[in-house]
Amino acid sequence: MKHLLCLLVAWFALTSGLHAADPVLAPAGRKAWVMHFDGDWLVARGLPEKVLLVSLQGLANRAAPQLYVVHPKDFQWEITEPLFEFYQRKHHVTFTEVKSAYEALALFAQHAKGYVIWEPAVSASLNVAFTIAGLESAVVVTADQVALVERHGLKKIDDLRGRYAGQTDAQIYTDAYARYWSRCTHDSIMLMGGHAGAVRMPAMADWGVRQKMFFHDLSANPVHAEEVALNKKLYSELVPLSTVFGWHSYAKDTEEQQTTLLSTYGLRMEGLHNLPNLSFNCQFTFTPGFKFKNNHRVAADAKLTADKKVYLAFVQSDSIGIGVWTKPGRGKLPFGWQVTMNWTKFSPAALEYFHESATPNDLFIGGLSGPGYMYPNHIPADRFALLMQDARKLMATLDENIMEIMDNSAADGNLGNADLTKETVDRYYAAFPDVIGFINGYGPARTRDLRDTRALISYDYYIDPRRPRDEVAADLNELIAINAKRPYFLLVHVRESNDVNSLVEITKQLDGPVEIVPVDVFLKLAASNKTYTTRYQLPTDPKHFKGF
Amino acid sequence: MVALPLAAWAANPAMAGRWRMDPKRSTALDGWNTWDLVVGLNGTRVDLRHDMQWRTSKVTSTNTVDTATPTTVKDFFRVEQRHMALYLVPGAVTPVRAEWLDGERTLRVEATVPVESSQSTTPMRIYQEFRLIEGDQELQLIELHSTRGKPLVYRFTKITGEK
Repeated sequence: MKHLLCLLVAWFALTSGLHAADPVLAPAGRKAWVMHFDGDWLVARGLPEKVLLVSLQGLANRAAPQLYVVHPKDFQWEITEPLFEFYQRKHHVTFTEVKSAYEALALFAQHAKGYVIWEPAVSASLNVAFTIAGLESAVVVTADQVALVERHGLKKIDDLRGRYAGQTDAQIYTDAYARYWSRCTHDSIMLMGGHAGAVRMPAMADWGVRQKMFFHDLSANPVHAEEVALNKKLYSELVPLSTVFGWHSYAKDTEEQQTTLLSTYGLRMEGLHNLPNLSFNCQFTFTPGFKFKNNHRVAADAKLTADKKVYLAFVQSDSIGIGVWTKPGRGKLPFGWQVTMNWTKFSPAALEYFHESATPNDLFIGGLSGPGYMYPNHIPADRFALLMQDARKLMATLDENIMEIMDNSAADGNLGNADLTKETVDRYYAAFPDVIGFINGYGPARTRDLRDTRALISYDYYIDPRRPRDEVAADLNELIAINAKRPYFLLVHVRESNDVNSLVEITKQLDGPVEIVPVDVFLKLAASNKTYTTRYQLPTDPKHFKGF
Repeated sequence: MVALPLAAWAANPAMAGRWRMDPKRSTALDGWNTWDLVVGLNGTRVDLRHDMQWRTSKVTSTNTVDTATPTTVKDFFRVEQRHMALYLVPGAVTPVRAEWLDGERTLRVEATVPVESSQSTTPMRIYQEFRLIEGDQELQLIELHSTRGKPLVYRFTKITGEK
């Protein structure tokens, strides 16, 4: 057992790109503290206290995992409560409840050297304050909270009030770049965007503070030329294969624009901006003896033969943590689940939780496009090989043999296209000789291929959770009618928050000889009888974002 | 020369103008936020312009039909459910027939549209009726596909003051 533990430690040391975050083996029986957050993230109400607490959490968790946050059940990341229970059950962590910011400061103010004041009227000042918090070991407060933190012995380190009055975000971050960037870690950066305006949700800030990241929400929208220029400068100065944590600003640009930009530098996105507790989670590794064992339904070298029927497979991406995992009905249908592979580095316990709670119908697949979220059509060739080398290692660890690819660089949500160039497809086939196949798309796409025994199939349908179920059934039946050759391979992407029970009802309404199969079986069958066309992204295909 | 019934030639001026889809009274659109139908009348020709919007992206396309004679439309615009992998075939020509019915209160359009699917390019027969509702302030579009067992029903309200 000791040998296994040493191997695990060595493995993490080899695979983690974030040396400051190398997981340590938390000793059994550890004590820690837990806070239960409410759902109030209004800047004018609940945000300031949460900002104070997540900055404190990042500092308290620097040397050891001490403070964990449980969010309400309707929070986007539904995993915080199940994972809280998992830590108690599997890692024997004994949690003590912390009921107020005052109590939290009484316990953890010793880990801070002081405080920095941000100015709610100047949105970007919060991100600058978070950067300072990481570098100077400060908690982040508003002017109204100064008395509270001073009661716990903290002194002022910086006060941003007035410094950035009347300045644009480009000017503010340019100043922050000059003051702080050289001292920040260069193997990751915190894109603290997401919600903007009256509500902000920087639940991932604990992680950035712990790791001394540079915080920003610079735009990747070409209309914001100054911001894009500084964004590019920062991305270009990160070390190769770095990670962009967080998420794009909902007020400035699109997911497609920001992900395209970072992909052109060979970087990877790890979101969202409200993913909590990484500063805690990164310090636990897998429990002794745990090994990922996927629920493969077909042997990697098996040869299957498709019958003359419709084969339908469901896949859920969007990272399983924000998906339908915790909703009732899981296990009733075969589902492929896209795993955020990088969590083996940042949140191993979460992956172990998912694997231990998987039903025989739950199969994990790799993604999204590689070791993190990225758009492969834009990854430089020399970085592609390195990234996919990392992805192969992670997939081997996670016992996964299907790679899911997504490239929305030419899309605006439902418009444009989500297809791969032939050059990109060539690269994947070369980089993953041992997978049983590839999946492409988010919304529907039309990149398809079959080489040796490895099929590449794009989604033929995307289930919007808001779409009436009878219309979903009608849509699927229309696809079945139009794709009249049998076998027909109908790959369906299930958007996060869909209800599995409703999908069961939809499958009962489908026409013709339809078989719902696990996605690994689906890809094997698709390799046996190519009734689909070979297609790649064409220069003439509609593009709704033409790049930088 | 075949004599056409008078109804084929007459257009109903009440049909002309901008009509905005009412999502609460329509089949769910998938992948579009808004849909304006702009009807233009020019003798026997009817321009059916579709102003579509998804977030900030706008798409406009016009199908011109003729109630006097069968025609063809290049890149026929189909209000597709965008979460289905069915695509326009660029440059493809769609045969179209149109006719006024019900005392010029209904415009019937029949088209056979080539559609690209994951297996091949397949013709989809589309049958549309644009029906003026009493009072001429509302319009109903009923659309049938040869490939779909369920009709698509869209309700529009007339918009004045916008072109």
